[in-house]
Amino acid sequence: MRVAFVGKGGAGKSAIAGVIARLLARDGEDVLAVDSDPMPGLSVSLGLGVVESAIPADAVTEKAAGEPGPRFRLRQGLTATEAIDRYALLAPDGVRFLQFGKTRASAAPLMRSQWAFRQILDGLPPETPTVIGDLPGGTRQPFLGWAGYADTVVVVVPPTSAGMLSARRLAKLATTGPTTDTGPSRILAVVSQARDDADVERIRQRTGLDVIGSVPWDERVLAAEREGRSVLDTAPDSAVVAALTALAERLAPQRAAQRQAALADFPGGGA
Amino acid sequence: MKLAVVGKGGVGKTTTAAVLARTLARDGGTVVALDCDTNPNLGISLGIGDDETERLIGLRQSLDDGTQEHAPSWDSLIDVFGSDAPGGVRLAVVSAMDKPEPGCPCCGLSPEQLLRTVAFDEQTVIADFEAGIGTLTRLEAGAVDVIVLVVAPTAKSIEVARRAAELVAEKQLGRLVVLGNQVRDDADRALITAAFGEPDVACVPHDERIADADRRGVAPFDVAPDADAVLAIAALAGTLRATA
Ligand SMILES: Nc1ncnc2c1ncn2[C@@H]1O[C@H](COP(=O)(O)OP(=O)(O)O)[C@@H](O)[C@H]1O
Ligand SMILES: Nc1ncnc2c1ncn2[C@@H]1O[C@H](COP(=O)(O)OP(=O)(O)O)[C@@H](O)[C@H]1O
Ligand SMILES: [Mg+2]
Ligand SMILES: [Mg+2]
Repeated sequence: MRVAFVGKGGAGKSAIAGVIARLLARDGEDVLAVDSDPMPGLSVSLGLGVVESAIPADAVTEKAAGEPGPRFRLRQGLTATEAIDRYALLAPDGVRFLQFGKTRASAAPLMRSQWAFRQILDGLPPETPTVIGDLPGGTRQPFLGWAGYADTVVVVVPPTSAGMLSARRLAKLATTGPTTDTGPSRILAVVSQARDDADVERIRQRTGLDVIGSVPWDERVLAAEREGRSVLDTAPDSAVVAALTALAERLAPQRAAQRQAALADFPGGGA
Repeated sequence: MKLAVVGKGGVGKTTTAAVLARTLARDGGTVVALDCDTNPNLGISLGIGDDETERLIGLRQSLDDGTQEHAPSWDSLIDVFGSDAPGGVRLAVVSAMDKPEPGCPCCGLSPEQLLRTVAFDEQTVIADFEAGIGTLTRLEAGAVDVIVLVVAPTAKSIEVARRAAELVAEKQLGRLVVLGNQVRDDADRALITAAFGEPDVACVPHDERIADADRRGVAPFDVAPDADAVLAIAALAGTLRATA
């Protein structure tokens, strides 16, 4: 499974992606959490705090003039899997976390790091790892090649007019965007910061999207964010974490079923 | 006076830009609000509604795909790609939408170039920027007078704001005004003031009436003019005008 979370800035993409990545990892999945937002986000939601590290520029080499193919490629002998081993950081619950780097006034430009990041994602072997991707906010950047790896696009929708307007545009771009070559096989929606059940129904109607989950608005998410921590660590028993646990299962129903089966096989396990 | 409103996505840039614009227009200025976000929605917060906001997006998109002709001058640009918002504010959507390049496919002008090249004379210009610091990295000194940096009391938004403040200082982009938004308590306030080293950072409280207006797709300035958050942003408008 390779998921890309998209949505209006501030929708809750990072908050949701960070927790989902960790919940899947707790289930034993090999999870790679990838942040393609040039502004800090996912690392904080994973519980790693602000991470400045970037993929080094020498991870790629530039092609010679006249040579076909992309302008930069992973350097000779570096496979996508090795690149992850080298450049990803270890986050809580065994999640591996990869970002190309973060924009800063005086820092070197990140173009080569961004190329490396994309080449790594394009070069992953077909089955593992599971990828949970946090994309830049808004509608322009996500589909300029950043979501190419995703088989599932999840549009994160806060219950506001602006959030739903963004969601409708994103859903359209995910299928017709300028640089989606293959396109995701699923486009789903998650309601974020929901105040009540009516919010969920309104979003279903006004976006026409398949809503597979709803995350309630909860002060404790903000409280955790203030400290730069994950709500999974500060409020594990909250309704938000319960909603995200349900969402993780709905995103990967086969896995949930396998786990049930495994439990049933285990002597004394099951219900 | 030209103002740019910047910050992390979701901190309240659009809410701030809209309330500033409506307040300054009410108090007698000629106000042009520029939606510089590639995912524009300033219209909703200004009070023109969902449908009109979507119509303006459609117009810009038809420009991108070549079915709409570009306006030959700045004046006609705000005619063609703009709309009259309540209270006398003129809104124009000035970002390209789905193109890899931020510039307009016809005249090549990006929002930051527009701000630099167009003489706005006596008009007050309020530019609602795209989330993050991308536009600031391309903005040149002199394009705007004031940068309103909106920051919420979260680790992420403070980190983005720090980067924005660095750029403003390094490139001398204008006067920096930090606005703490969605502030719930003293700890929130302390977090923001500590990050920016000034005890007098203006703060806007977390206010459910703002969130409620946004759920309904209406302008806080219209439906909750006496909400604490609206009053706090209006007070900033007064300060900005007095010190312009
Ligand atoms: N369910 C929620 N309840 C309350 N606040 C939330 C919730 N989800 C996100 N937030 C808050 O909204 C802000 C934006 O969330 P974030 O995940 O950073 O958004 P994005 O990555 O989409 O820009 C953060 O301050 C976060 O604490
Ligand atoms: N002072 C506030 N109190 C409560 N909610 C707020 C406040 N300011 C903004 N919000 C809410 O935060 C969300 C993002 O605000 P918005 O102005 O669209 O941010 P941005 O333009 O920075 O993305 C909206 O749903 C809005 O209702
Ligand atoms: Mg984010
Ligand atoms: Mg906005």
